[in-house]
Amino acid sequence: MATATATTVSPYNEVRSDLWRPLSGASPRYLAILAGLAAIVLWGAFAWSYQLLHGIGVAGIRRPVFWGFYLIDFVFWIGISHAGTLISAILRLTDAGWRKPVTRAAEAITVFALMIGGMFPIIHLGRAWLFYWLFPYPNSRLLWPNFRSPLVWDVTAISTYLTGSAIYLFLPLIPDVAQLAKHATGWRRFVYRKLSLGWTGSDREWNALEHAMKLMACIILAVAVSVHTVVAWDFSMSVAPMWHSTIFGPYFVVGAIFSGIAALLIAMAIIRRAMHLEKYLTPHHFNNLSKLLLLMSLLWLYFTVSENLTAWYGNEPKEMNVFGAQLRGSFAPYFWAMVFCNFVVPFILLGIKKLRTIKTAIIASITVLIGMWLERFLIIIPTLSFGRLSSTWGNYAPSWVEISITVATFAAMIALYLIFAKLFPIIAVWEFEQE
Amino acid sequence: MHLTREFSDRKSLIHALRDLQEMGVTPKDLDIFSTEPLELPQSALARPSHMSLAVVTGAISFGLCVIGFVYYAQHSYPIITGGMPIFSFWATGVVFYELTMLGSILMSLLWFLKESGLFKSKPPAPSYSDGSICLRVECSQEQEPSIRKLLEAHSK
Repeated sequence: MATATATTVSPYNEVRSDLWRPLSGASPRYLAILAGLAAIVLWGAFAWSYQLLHGIGVAGIRRPVFWGFYLIDFVFWIGISHAGTLISAILRLTDAGWRKPVTRAAEAITVFALMIGGMFPIIHLGRAWLFYWLFPYPNSRLLWPNFRSPLVWDVTAISTYLTGSAIYLFLPLIPDVAQLAKHATGWRRFVYRKLSLGWTGSDREWNALEHAMKLMACIILAVAVSVHTVVAWDFSMSVAPMWHSTIFGPYFVVGAIFSGIAALLIAMAIIRRAMHLEKYLTPHHFNNLSKLLLLMSLLWLYFTVSENLTAWYGNEPKEMNVFGAQLRGSFAPYFWAMVFCNFVVPFILLGIKKLRTIKTAIIASITVLIGMWLERFLIIIPTLSFGRLSSTWGNYAPSWVEISITVATFAAMIALYLIFAKLFPIIAVWEFEQE
Repeated sequence: MHLTREFSDRKSLIHALRDLQEMGVTPKDLDIFSTEPLELPQSALARPSHMSLAVVTGAISFGLCVIGFVYYAQHSYPIITGGMPIFSFWATGVVFYELTMLGSILMSLLWFLKESGLFKSKPPAPSYSDGSICLRVECSQEQEPSIRKLLEAHSK
C-alpha cells in the first residue's frame, strides 16, 4: 500500500458536490440490495415474533447453557460499537488530520451497532414486553431493583453510551444539514431544515460546536471504555470457571476496539467503492487504520495468552475442564479458528508491508470479525457447558430462531448504514473545507 | 441597525474586527458567518465559554441525584438482608459513574444549545456567497457612516 500523503483538498464547490453526489437519487442496484436486506430483516422479525408467541423455549438455550447466541451477539455488537466513537474521539483529541474522512463513518457504526446490540438483552428476556422492569425505579411493583447486579449496570452503561454517541454523531452533522437545507427540495429540505435547528454558520455557533465536540470527545472516551468493561463484568463478577478474571475488563475493551476497527475498515471500503469517494478515502487512510488493526491484533494475542496461560498454570480442576475443552476438546476447532482469524491472518497480511493493500486490509478485517464473534462464543458457551458440577454439564445447539435473528441483525446493520449514507454526507463536508 | 460585509480572506477580517473594537463596537454586536469554522485569535474576537464548568457542575449534580435516587429506591422496600448493608456504595458505584457521565453528556448538549443561541430569536442570517466570510455589525444610526467606511476599506 502506498503511504501517500493526506488527500489533496479540492476547491470548496468540488468537495461539496463530490460528497453530496451520493445523496441524490437511488440506483436500481441500491434499491435491490436494500430490498434484499429488508427481506432478511423481516425474516428475523418473524423469527422473533415466533419466539414471543411460543416462548423462549423455541431458542436453543437450555440448562446449563442459558446464555446462547443472543448474549454472544450482544457482546459482539457492543464491541463493534467501539469502532466509531472511540476511534473518532481519540483521533479528534489528538488532532490527527487524516481522521476527517473517517470520523462520521465510524460514529454512524457506533450508533447503529449500539441500537442492535442493545436489543439482544430484550430478545433474550423472552417476555420482551416486560423489559422496562430493568429500569430501576422505586418499587411500586414490589420488585427489587438490584443495583448490585451487573445486568442493571449494563442498562445504565449502554443507555449512557447510546445517548452520548447519538449526540456525538448529531452535533457535527448540524452544519452539513444546514447547508443541505439550503440546496435541497421537497421532503428532504423539510427534514434537513428541522435537523439543522436553525444553524446559520455564525461564529458563536462554530465556537459552541467546537467546545462541545472537544468536551464530548473526552466524555465519550471515558464512557466507551467503561461500557465494555461493564459488559466484561457481567461475566467476571460471577465465580464461574474461566470467567472470574481480573483482566476481563481490559481484555474486552481491547477486543472491542479490535473488532470495531475491522468493521470500520469494511464500511470505509464499501463506501469508497459504492460512492466513488476514492479521492477522499485514500490508501493513506486504509494504511493508517490497517496499522491500528495490526497493533490491536497483537494486543489481543497478548491478552489471550495471558488469560489462558494463567488458567493453565493454576491448574485449578474446574477451570482446566473448560480450558481443555477449548484447546483440545470439543471447542478446539473454534478456538484455533479464532487464533487463525484474529492473529495469523492480520499478522501476515498487515504485518508484511508489501502485502498491505486495501484488499488485504479488507480480507483481514473480515477474518477479524469472524474471529471476534468466535471469541465471544468461546467465552460464553464452554464455561456454561462445563460448570462446577460435572453432573450439570450439557451442550448447546442454536435453533433456527437464534440463527435467523443473528443473521437479520447483520442485514439490519448494513441496511441502516445504507439508508444513513443516502440521507447524510458520510464524510463531514465542513471538516474537509476547514483544511 | 445591521451592516454586513463579505470578506474573501481571514486577514482582512481580523484587521476589520480590531479596528471596529477600537471604535467601541463590542464583541456582542459582532457576528461572523461562514460555511466552515474560523480560527480567530483571542485578541481579534473574544468569545469566552463556560461550557467546561457547566458540564462539570451538571455531572456532579446529576451524580448526586443518582446517589440519592438509588439510596431511596433501595430503602423503599423492606428487604431482609441478614445484616448486610441495604445500600452498598461500591456496588452502586458503576450506576453512579455511568449516570454522572450521562449528566455531563446532557449538559454538554444543553450548553451547546445555549452558547450557540440556536433556539434564540435573532435577526435572519445574511446571505453570502459560498466559501466567503460575512461580518455583521449591529450599530446605532450615528455610528453607521464611520463603520460603513471602515468595512468598505477592509473588504476591498
